[in-house]
Amino acid sequence: MQKKDIGLGILIIVVGAIVYMRNPLFLSPINLGNTANLIGLFGLFAIGQGFVIMTGGIDLSVGSVIALLGVLFVDMVGKFGVPWPLAMAIIIGLGVLIGLAHGILITRFRLQPFVVTLCGLLIYRGIARGYTAESTAGFPFGSSYPQLEWLTIGRSFGVPHSFLAMLIVAAVMWVVLHHTVFGRHLCAVGKNEEAARFSGINTRFVTVMAYVICAVLASIAAIYFAMFTKSVQPSSHGNFYELYAIAAAVLGGCSLRGGEGSVIGIVLGAVLLQELQNLVNLLGIPSSLNFAVMGAVILLGVLADQQFASYRTRKNTERALGLLQKP
Amino acid sequence: MNVLELKNISKRYGAIQALDNVSLAIAPGEVVGLMGDNGAGKSTLVKVIAGNFAPTSGDILVSDQKVAFHKPLDAQKAGIEVVYQDLAICNNLSAASNVFLGREPTRRIGPIKVVDYAFMRSKSAELFARLKSETRPRDLVHKMSGGQRQAVAIARTLLSDAKIVLMDEPTAAISVRQVAEVLNLIRQLSDHGISVVLISHRMPDVFEVADKVVVLRRGELVADKKASDSSPEEITGLITGAIEHA
Ligand SMILES: Nc1ncnc2c1ncn2[C@@H]1O[C@H](COP(=O)(O)OP(=O)(O)O)[C@@H](O)[C@H]1O
Ligand SMILES: [Mg+2]
Repeated sequence: MQKKDIGLGILIIVVGAIVYMRNPLFLSPINLGNTANLIGLFGLFAIGQGFVIMTGGIDLSVGSVIALLGVLFVDMVGKFGVPWPLAMAIIIGLGVLIGLAHGILITRFRLQPFVVTLCGLLIYRGIARGYTAESTAGFPFGSSYPQLEWLTIGRSFGVPHSFLAMLIVAAVMWVVLHHTVFGRHLCAVGKNEEAARFSGINTRFVTVMAYVICAVLASIAAIYFAMFTKSVQPSSHGNFYELYAIAAAVLGGCSLRGGEGSVIGIVLGAVLLQELQNLVNLLGIPSSLNFAVMGAVILLGVLADQQFASYRTRKNTERALGLLQKP
Repeated sequence: MNVLELKNISKRYGAIQALDNVSLAIAPGEVVGLMGDNGAGKSTLVKVIAGNFAPTSGDILVSDQKVAFHKPLDAQKAGIEVVYQDLAICNNLSAASNVFLGREPTRRIGPIKVVDYAFMRSKSAELFARLKSETRPRDLVHKMSGGQRQAVAIARTLLSDAKIVLMDEPTAAISVRQVAEVLNLIRQLSDHGISVVLISHRMPDVFEVADKVVVLRRGELVADKKASDSSPEEITGLITGAIEHA
């Protein structure tokens, strides 16, 4: 665990304690279960966003991907009677294709990630709205899919399965980032692409894979969100979700300049964001102020981190100078 | 036998003739000082040798075999390693990770392959010891001195069994004490039978380690002589053009 992760963990506990003192419902099983569900849903795709950010890129299309793939999943299963495991495979396959498209446009055609994925944001949202003619996609009344529901919105011992899915994904991605060759290369590419290339790393492949991971995790999240909301409104479903993901990753210590980040940090970032949502609800703050609270806390968090970092640098410099002055 | 031989290498960037018929031979363990004014074509020559781009015309021979490099990896496989001016390393990784960047050792845990950090650390500690450098494998590179960073970059070359190491201004931005460290590293490489091409603007450094001095002027090779047969004054004249040829 990195120092930053520990700091974030402490912040989560402090905020939690304050909310609990003002409103003990915070630690009620119902509230914890609901919050864990949301953490799972948002954490799933925040981890993918973190991988893209570590390459020095960004993926703005996540929310639209969740809307488009959500619509398609609901329609495939609800309207066309596609068996749900097949529908899931198709959705994840589409996620792979979307990620490949982003990655190839960025590496082969040298377009900027911001531009590519901004166009993605517009295109996928547009297709979702056009395909449904703006009508809500939903499952037919009376239909039920017990296994699919158990997998997505079920609970074991009160723990939502979306949360467990996120933990599994986080564990896998933790191994990938910190203990595989690909993870090492991802950090190297993000920090110094040229050096990585000169070291013989296939930097294009690494970058493309980061976008594929991001889109695949977004496609899995799309299925979980669709099952959670049960109906998908194409113009609003998933709006701004890319920003939640970016916020979680940045809170979790990913630098938008690339090369830095940890999976634990991203998950903690997602936890803090949901905790703040919860704070707004439980403390009776008007929910219209939701975004303002979130923005203010992220700003303070990043500012504090920056101040700590420059303080540490100053201390280190002083120590080094002190050593020099001794004969 | 020559480790590396260049025959009539030319490189044009549009209207600019960056290299003009450059020929050069380098023997095993030889340290070559490559000098020239800004824009003389030194970096271009390094990039051609390192496979960053092909020359417009001319041949490259490695161990007397003609080669064609399409990408940096091809040159690496032929035993050519480059220590770049500033982009040799990734700041956010440890010294050991940088030494092994692009060729990380792995071990299996069940079905998955994980990076073998323990091996990386012990092997790079061994390499640093061989280079007589005080660099520690676990340290993050962004906390290191310029000299230690060079040690990291150079340890990479030992790892890959390089035949020849190209160094583009390794002493440009570092302190006097660290310069001495880098020059020491160059001698270590040479003692291991590895040839070094050192690009530097610092005349004393070049004369301290180089067996041979080569001068480029506006893309042309105007001197190729033993350091012991030359002098800083002569080389300065060759660089500026006060002396036509040597
Ligand atoms: N990528 C490039 N495109 C166009 N011209 C270049 C490029 N790189 C170098 N040059 C030109 O080639 C000449 C040699 O440059 P360079 O090899 O960098 O010289 P040095 O390293 O000796 O200072 C200069 O005139 C420079 O402007
Ligand atoms: Mg240069």
